[in-house]
Formats: sequence, structure tokens, C-alpha cells
Amino acid sequence: MPSTQTPPLTGTAIDPPALRPPIDDAAIERIEPAQLHARLADLKRAGFTVLLDVGAVDYPQRSPRFDVVYHLLNLSKTQRFRILCGVAGDDPKLPTATDLWKSADWAEREIYDLFGISFEGHPDLRRIQMPNDWEGHPLRKDYPLRGPARERSPRPAFALKSNVQAGTPPSGRTLEALQQQIAKIRGEDSSS
Amino acid sequence: MSMTTTPLTPEIVSQEGNSMVLSMGPQHPSTHGVLQIMLEISGENIVKAEPEIGYLHTGIEKTAENLFWTQAQTVIERMDYLAPSSNAYCYCLAVEQLLGVTDRIPERAQQIRVLQAELTRVASHCVWLGTHGIDLGALSAFFYCFDMREKVLDLQEAAGGARMHPNYLRVGGVQADLPSGFMEQLDELIAMFPGRMRDLRGLLQANPILQDRLIDVGIMSQEEAQEWSITGPGLRATGIAYDVRRAFPYGGYQNYEFDIPTRVEGDSYARFLVRLDEMEQSMRIVQQVRNALRPGPIAIDDTKIMPPPKETIALSMEALIHHFKIMTEGFRVPPGDVYQAVEGPRGELGYYVVSDGGNRPYRVRTRPPSMYNLQALKGLAPGNLIADLVVIIGSLDPVFGEVDR
Repeated sequence: MPSTQTPPLTGTAIDPPALRPPIDDAAIERIEPAQLHARLADLKRAGFTVLLDVGAVDYPQRSPRFDVVYHLLNLSKTQRFRILCGVAGDDPKLPTATDLWKSADWAEREIYDLFGISFEGHPDLRRIQMPNDWEGHPLRKDYPLRGPARERSPRPAFALKSNVQAGTPPSGRTLEALQQQIAKIRGEDSSS
Repeated sequence: MSMTTTPLTPEIVSQEGNSMVLSMGPQHPSTHGVLQIMLEISGENIVKAEPEIGYLHTGIEKTAENLFWTQAQTVIERMDYLAPSSNAYCYCLAVEQLLGVTDRIPERAQQIRVLQAELTRVASHCVWLGTHGIDLGALSAFFYCFDMREKVLDLQEAAGGARMHPNYLRVGGVQADLPSGFMEQLDELIAMFPGRMRDLRGLLQANPILQDRLIDVGIMSQEEAQEWSITGPGLRATGIAYDVRRAFPYGGYQNYEFDIPTRVEGDSYARFLVRLDEMEQSMRIVQQVRNALRPGPIAIDDTKIMPPPKETIALSMEALIHHFKIMTEGFRVPPGDVYQAVEGPRGELGYYVVSDGGNRPYRVRTRPPSMYNLQALKGLAPGNLIADLVVIIGSLDPVFGEVDR
């Protein structure tokens, strides 16, 4: 069920990493999925022996929709390397890196779980954080912050004092409902 | 111990060659949280171990995307709940890099942050040491550890107002100056620390029972450690002196003298000793910070990022406007992405932060050291006894708020 509580996107969010020269000291490279595995293997041979992290970012208004971000570490030269790999939104998939680093296992499972990007050749690709029968991929931007059950239930009164217009987080309540509730608390007749 | 055991009943102990699957946890006391491990065992020996995580998943990364930059820090501190200030520190550094204000953070603010980060490491290692001892049946060390941790938590409470999640660090500096009496309290801790460490070492380090349980259990080679992306004490116990504070200095760590404790054995006892040494090195840094602290500003002089002091809003129109703007809609961060890491108590704690130019983080990806360290259980556990699995989990020191996020 689509939620009315999906918060508005704050900026343009087409490709923030490309908008600015690198800030941190990592070497950065953007790569196509077809070359990804070979490039990772090259870098591992070149001394980037530690896979620090694999993460993903969702840019719904962009094509390709997802960025999968690899951070590598060279221990002897103390260098970091960041690889950004765009993944298409329909049928998102990438080759696995578990044959290069065992530690890619859980990181890739997490991306599969929370973003729905599958990794071909992964030995045990199943959900890791969410329950096995969960529907949807929570970290996608079109996934609502709250479920339908939470949406129907009233929020605590103190939360209503937050700025309804700013929507932080969006309560789904109208100004009229808010005024009625305030009137009720004050013991006034809201119809008058 | 010998590999073969006399079968008691067919259900409990299998014949050699046969194996059974045992689910350990998620409510097992020695898993330090909610960890379930599917064990394939042959007798007492582990053939295969498959940790199942996610029982504590709270969607912190998703929540953070829907809060202001400053508000997100509140949930981020709850990831590694034993070292909240380390998380906050890393996140603040990342956001400051995106804002381009890294060079403008005042000296005193940087020193206070280093102080908090090192104190939180001591507190975190205290919990690890105490609970690790309990896993092995050494109960008394636990009380010493938690007593010392309490002293650190008192300091956190004095500075930030809360024991567990002080939320004291801010993007641009710290929330408030250190209160009066803080230095005396800190001096008490510094004075008591060496004696307490001597007690703890006496209770545990030379204890033959503890040595029997830890030595040569869960051995990790340098290659394995890199293969499993182990960082922190686990990596240093294999002989690789990688410490983010030295490799990629941040927040003024260049100014302090400290050693990177390493061992070459790579077993649980090596990890145990590395952590003990780390506590002493942390206190060494704390002492240096304490001596270097001079009065001065505690936050960046930029009212677009840091709200002006509350007193000024009655006097200045600009202060009122800035205060109101920051409180109601936060600050905006220029678009871009950054990876910032700090040396957390468990290893390299990294944040990959993406901003789209709005007042909320577009994406906050954590590099959770606990998760990567815990994952190595798949490689470390097979071939060990079930009782040793408890030791290995304890020596990896996972925090499940961070593993599951």
C-alpha cells in the first residue's frame, strides 16, 4: 500500500558525487558493471587487499538508478580507493565479489536485502537484516518510512507540536484535525 | 581434547562422520546480544558455523535519511551503543568535510572531541573486558571493569548530560563547554586508572585458567584478517599495525603521542592483550589532551551551522533569526559524497555520507566494524569446540546495535 507519509526529497539528488571534486583522500573511479569484477581483481593484485565496505545509494530520478560503492584499502601504502558502479533500476544486478574477498558476503546480502540489487554468483544470497518473508526493500527511496498500520494510528500529542508544514517527519495530519484536537483538549466545542 | 566422544544418546552426540545442526541463540547469554548461530556439530566439534543476524535491525540508516543533519546524529549514536561518541565523532567529521569547514573547527573543540572519543573507547573496552571475563567464568573482573566504566560515564554525563548517549559532539564543535568540576573528576579517573589496570591484569592476564581458554583459540593469520576485512584490535593482533588514527589522521591526532599495540600470534589471547594495551594508550592520549586544554571557543564561529548562544537571541536580531532557522529547518549541506573513518573501539568505523544539497542526509552508509569482524566467525569457528566458540565471539567484541543497525 503506498504511503502518504513518504517524505519529500530535499534536493535534486541526480548524482551528488559527480557535482563536486573529491573531498576525502580516496582515489575515486566510476566504472561500468561489465568491467567491475576485473577491475576489483586488478586492484586486489595491486595491493588493495582489504575490502573496507560495500554500500549502495538509490537515486530514483536517475538512470542508472543505483550506485554501488566499494571502498578498498591498501595497507602497505595506506591508501583508500572508492569505486562507484551504476546499476540499472529494472532487474538490478552485479557480479559478486565474494570470490575475491570473503567479507563481501554479508555486505552484498545487505544490499540485496535493503536495495533489491542481486549479486550473480553469490553463494548464499538471501535477506540478512529483514525477515525472510519481508516484501520490498526498505532503503529504496520509494519505500515509505512508516507502514500502513502506523499511519492509521494517532501520533502522541507532543509530536503534533512539531511544524506540520515542515513535515519533520510528516505526520499525515491536516491542520483542521490538529485544531480540532487542540480545541478538544481545551474543552471548547469544535463545531462552534 | 580428543576428537571422539562416547555417545550418550543418539540425539545428543552423533557418531563421527555424522553431524547435527544446533541453533545457538538468539537468546544465548554469551552471544553479547541477539546473535543466532546455526552450528553444524559433530560431537562437541564445530563443522560449520553460520551466524544469523538482523534481530536488532532498527533501520537507523533509513531513519537518518528522514531527519535533519543534526537530528540524525541522535540515532547514529545508538548504533554502537557502547561507544556513542565514536559514532558521533565520525559522522560530525564527515559532515564537516562536506560543509568544507574542517579547518575552521577551534582547537579546544577538537581536543574535547578527542578526549570524548578516547574516554568512550576506555568505557567500551571495560564492558568488553568485564563480559569477556564472565564468559570465561571470571566474575570479579566484571565489577572492577564496570566500576571504572561508571567513572567514565559520570564524565560523559557531566559533559553531555546523559550517561549512555550524551549526544555531546556536534557538527562544528561540541554542544557546550566542559562544566566546572569536570577536570577534577577527570584527574580522579586518570589517577585511579593505572592501579585499576594493574588489578585487572593481575586478575586476568596472568590467570592460568584464562590463558588456557584463550591461547591458540581462534587463530587468524594476516591473510585471513585481510580476507575478512578485520580492522581494529583483531587486525593488530595479527601483527599489522593499522590504526586509522595514524594512517589517516583526523581531528588533531597527529599532535598526540601514542603507540599502536600489536601482537603476532593472532589468537584470542593476542586480541585480549592488544585491547588491554589500547586502554592504556587511550588514557595516555586523555592525559595529553587534559594537559593541552586551554580556554577558547568550543564550536565553529558560523551561525549558519551552529546556533548562536541562547543568551544572545534576546539582544540580536540576527542571532534570533539564525537560531530560529537552525532549530526549525536545520542547515543545508552542499551536494557531494565523502567517506570518513575513525578508529572506533572495534576497528575502522566509517561513514559514507551523500548530500544532495538539502537539510537532511541523502544517504548515510555506515561501515560497521562489528559486522565485518563478526562475519569472520564463519572462518574462525570450524574446528573448534562449542565452548571455544564463546571465547571467539567474546574476543571479536561485536555490538549488535551496530551489526544490525
